[in-house]
Amino acid sequence: MKYDYDICIVGSGAGGSPIAYELSNAGYKVAVLEKGKNLREEDVSKDELAVSRRGLYTPDLKDERHIINNREENGTVTRYDGHEYSWSFWNGSMLGGSSNLMSGYFHRMKPNDFKLKSVFGEIKGANIVDWCISYEDLEPYYEKVERVIGVSGEVVKHSFLEPRSTRNFPYPKLEENAVTKWFDKACESLEFESIPTPRAILSRDALDRNTCSYSDFCGSYACATGAKGSGRAALLQKCNAEIITEAFVYKLDSDAEKITKVHYYDKDLNSHVITAKIFVLAAQAIETSRLLLNSKNEYFPNGMANNNGEVGKNLIFSAGGSGEGRFHFKDLDALKQKELMQTGLFFNRSLQDWYEFKDDGINYKGGTIDFLFEHANVISRASREFYNNDGKLIWGEELQNRIHKQLTSSRVLTFEVFNDWLPTDECFVSVDEKTKDKFGVPVGAINLWGHPHDVKVGEHLAKKAVEVLEEMGAKEISYNISAAPPPNLVAGGCRFGEDAKSSVLDKNCKAHELRNLYVTDASFMPTGGSVPYTWTIYANALRVADILKKTV
Amino acid sequence: MKIKSRRTFFKTTFLSTLVMVTANNTLFASITPLQTLAVVQKDLFPKEMITQANAYAYVSLVFKHSRVSAQDKQFLRNGTKWLHEEAVAKYNKVYTNLSPQERQDTLKSIANTSWGETWIKTVLSYIMEAVLGDPLYGVNKDEFGWKWLNHKTGSPRPKEMYL
Repeated sequence: MKYDYDICIVGSGAGGSPIAYELSNAGYKVAVLEKGKNLREEDVSKDELAVSRRGLYTPDLKDERHIINNREENGTVTRYDGHEYSWSFWNGSMLGGSSNLMSGYFHRMKPNDFKLKSVFGEIKGANIVDWCISYEDLEPYYEKVERVIGVSGEVVKHSFLEPRSTRNFPYPKLEENAVTKWFDKACESLEFESIPTPRAILSRDALDRNTCSYSDFCGSYACATGAKGSGRAALLQKCNAEIITEAFVYKLDSDAEKITKVHYYDKDLNSHVITAKIFVLAAQAIETSRLLLNSKNEYFPNGMANNNGEVGKNLIFSAGGSGEGRFHFKDLDALKQKELMQTGLFFNRSLQDWYEFKDDGINYKGGTIDFLFEHANVISRASREFYNNDGKLIWGEELQNRIHKQLTSSRVLTFEVFNDWLPTDECFVSVDEKTKDKFGVPVGAINLWGHPHDVKVGEHLAKKAVEVLEEMGAKEISYNISAAPPPNLVAGGCRFGEDAKSSVLDKNCKAHELRNLYVTDASFMPTGGSVPYTWTIYANALRVADILKKTV
Repeated sequence: MKIKSRRTFFKTTFLSTLVMVTANNTLFASITPLQTLAVVQKDLFPKEMITQANAYAYVSLVFKHSRVSAQDKQFLRNGTKWLHEEAVAKYNKVYTNLSPQERQDTLKSIANTSWGETWIKTVLSYIMEAVLGDPLYGVNKDEFGWKWLNHKTGSPRPKEMYL
């Protein structure tokens, strides 16, 4: 049989782009289908109104939405229409996906993250399993990501530093805001281990890409220099895979053993078909499960690769939350005031002292705390001042004066807590047959529930972060740990495993039930570790690419 | 083609179409949302900043924006009607005919209601967008808003508006 391509990849983010890069550079004929547009460095800007206020990079919810079935504390389920409630789970709909918009906080998972069940045991109500690969299997690919995507930083010794095959990162640390010195001093005083946060951002010209311009608008914005290691800048621009943008894949066809074709709509809603020897799905965790569940036929009446009913199950997010403290000029000398207001430079600091901890004699899997300055978005920062210290809505001169004072003589340092979102039976992806998107395809339903254990761990970590802010002299310290899911930190739904009855994918990320279907976005992850996922997605996709090179 | 024409008509007339202010189930007055918002903006943020921000014209842009939902636009429009109704209930006059002090008292009154608090925040949010958005959008004249807050905007700046 003649195929259009050797490999057809659905999705171009951190899961899809490494496959395209590796396989096309190895001489295979590769197609990448991406729903969004190809926005290059010269096409993007730091337009707060467009990017942060009007959703430039995400679909309009009236056209494409999710249904959210939220399990309340009393056990009842409330249905929310994402459009009606402005509840969006979209990230970056563009070539390279949300890797364009990430902040690029890059942490590796730790060896014990791969064997959570063996090390920490079962937790009632949670479907914790060990991974079917080890840290040692993935370590060479973590290292490859450092070189190919470009990770900058400085390795420092700390209690939970993972084993590394190289001594340091290939790119030196990005330039840092002077307030990091206050942070380091506070940590020294508290006997905490301050870690320079590794970033997927180039600190010098390299890899045919420009260094960071320190524009102060990084997270949520696409990079205009190419320094940020998006799948587009780092990989897709450096290979000859055929990129088909504005292509929404809505269905897979198969026979009993293999996928035969994908169907996609172009921007004018014309339908097209592609055949290939191998198909790789990397459309983001929720959308990958949705595509499989929407692709039913006589061989797979419950959706592709879903005869065991596991597709969509064990959806996970990053648990935790965020907090902040404010530094006021009145508490600082002139030099410190100047340091506080430095713009552009990064505040790259993390804590992992409690990646594992003991409380009341029980061993807990903990997590990571990243510290960063409040986002530079000025409309957002001004808008948070609409209430005075008594919680009363204000306007007029009172509001004008408050905004000016807060934004010109104080600054907010924030922190983000990342800990495991335990996989459960109650958190999964399904399809809402009654609700269709602009393509006429049933939308994904996100069935939400967070295990109480997640909040308990998050609270423990947040209190440690508060200690640091207090030691630094911050005021108005607050934090919020909850079971609210961060839409940009989502994984699971097609977990991999040795047992074909309880997992969707095998250890090579190939579907148990089909010979030529692979999934390489975060869907494969049975547990998520306590770090942002992107580095692990990149590394695993590079691992699968090596397997595919031997398979095609 | 007909449908497109009707949509265009809807967009351009949405703010200039009169809202009917009722009191005791009878029609009290009719007034456009745009006229009302022009007054409200200056009651919610200092007049000179509203002028430099070109906030009045910006409201028209918001109402035409493809990514501001129909519900949000309707809420903004309905809020002007409810504001007038509150003014009529308190002073037997529409909001725009009140004295400055009476208008402030009316705003304080609706700020104690759920819809009123949300509506005032919505109007303030669009004012902030006009004061601090990129001048490309016809707002933030001579970057006065950024200068006011010593804000250094990100680079590169946008080359075209996203509408």
